Amino acid sequence: MKNIVKTIIIGLGVFISINTEMIATEADKADTVNGAQVWADTCMRCHNMRQPSDLSSRAWSFSMNHMRVRAGLTGKETRDILAFILASKTESDRN
Amino acid sequence: MKKLLMGTTISIVVSSTLYAASSQNAEIAQLQEDVKTLKLANQKMERESDANAMSGFQLAGYSSFDYANEENGEDSFSGVRFAPIFHYQYGDRFQFEGELDITINNEGETDIELEYAAGTYFVNDYLGVQIGKFLSPIGQFVQNLHPSWINKLPSTPVGFGHDGAAPTSNVGIALRGGLPKVANMRSNYVVFVSNAPTFGVAADGDVVIGAEGKTASVDGAKMWGARYALNPIGNMEIGISAATGDISEELLSGDELLRDYDVLGADFVYHFNAISLRGEYIQQKVGENTLSTLEGGTWRAWYTQASYQFSSINLEPVVRYSDYHNPETNRNQWAFGLNYLFANNIIAKIAYEINTDEDDSAIGSRANNNRFLAQFAFGF
Ligand code: HEC
Repeated sequence: MKNIVKTIIIGLGVFISINTEMIATEADKADTVNGAQVWADTCMRCHNMRQPSDLSSRAWSFSMNHMRVRAGLTGKETRDILAFILASKTESDRN
Repeated sequence: MKKLLMGTTISIVVSSTLYAASSQNAEIAQLQEDVKTLKLANQKMERESDANAMSGFQLAGYSSFDYANEENGEDSFSGVRFAPIFHYQYGDRFQFEGELDITINNEGETDIELEYAAGTYFVNDYLGVQIGKFLSPIGQFVQNLHPSWINKLPSTPVGFGHDGAAPTSNVGIALRGGLPKVANMRSNYVVFVSNAPTFGVAADGDVVIGAEGKTASVDGAKMWGARYALNPIGNMEIGISAATGDISEELLSGDELLRDYDVLGADFVYHFNAISLRGEYIQQKVGENTLSTLEGGTWRAWYTQASYQFSSINLEPVVRYSDYHNPETNRNQWAFGLNYLFANNIIAKIAYEINTDEDDSAIGSRANNNRFLAQFAFGF
């Protein structure tokens, strides 16, 4: 039983890494519309919404990488949400 | 006379345009000069600021202060916590996150724990390879709800604290990420392998599973696990997790032996119209070994929680029921709380817990005591 589970897990790991290498599209441009959608669909699930004005643009780039791991986001979703957050920061609090 | 007049007019027009042109030229030159200076200043600023650097460092974290008044017990300012989180990243390829959990114990000494410290290399859009000590990917509470500005009550559900039914952390490797949409649904996964947990008798005499990540494993014993979670609609997640492997026990003789170890978990969350519903079930099963006097068994716990945010008055009532079973006892708890949100990440909480423990036979047992709790928490 144990060996079956282990084999499945290793197999899954290998499958995911091989497959994702092929379907990942690297340099597509950040899409703020998709970013806004995923933000609204995801960022209230675990904690209260943190407003774009809460953090500096620089801090957001760190926290979005952090949330990519925490919330299980894809790389593209992470870039799209970051682009949306930075676009919705007002000129005055941009830094 | 006419000619003279015309001549004068023409010469005035010509000379004034010439004058205007030359002063315009001077202005343009000045402007060009200004732009050049600004460009240089900007370049200097960009060079000096690390905002555009590939790598950088950032501080986040949370802090909280507690008060507890226990039925038949004492009342005290019962907790101070400072949990700084360090982030380092190299572009969007690599990130490190490390959290220290710094608390004051009841002797007044400072306890420091390395809550987690893990580096993640993003191989591609769907795969991150994480190495180090990470919070247990089994379920939700331990991993994502424990920070005091996130947890909607001042306490943890029974069975979800240290030495309970839910594993705490792992030292090992995890593969994790979000997956491409299937039938318009998002989903995410974690697959991990880590050092095996330990089994034994704690200082207070309880038989416990030590499911805190360790840097040693007896005979190379390991634990393998995974969590898969689906988002059928926005702000909803349904997750299932499982792990299997060995658990090691140190006998009085100093010998180490291994037993079977299996974990199962299921969790859900749904947030809609300011209502938040969540729940979770986790069980850890420890097999028997005839060489030991300790019996194995099942440690299992679950909770369900509902909360509502009245955003106009910044108030949030919360109710949670939790239930914990281990081979020695059954415990359950009702918790009713009310939060005031100064901001989304600055929260004052009060709560009342009704605790029931079957095993209240021990002299001085406080497991059955109800408690009033207050907490001030913020995330930064
Ligand atoms: C799966 C749960 C989960 C989801 C979904 C989630 N977060 Fe978080 N978030 C956390 C946890 C947990 C922390 C606290 C970090 C810690 O204690 O390790 C946190 C912390 C933060 C912080 C504080 C700064 C920091 O980096 O610690 C910000 C800002 C934040 N989240 C923004 C977001 C945004 C924006 C989204 C939507 C993309 C999001 N979160 C979705 C779990 C989540």
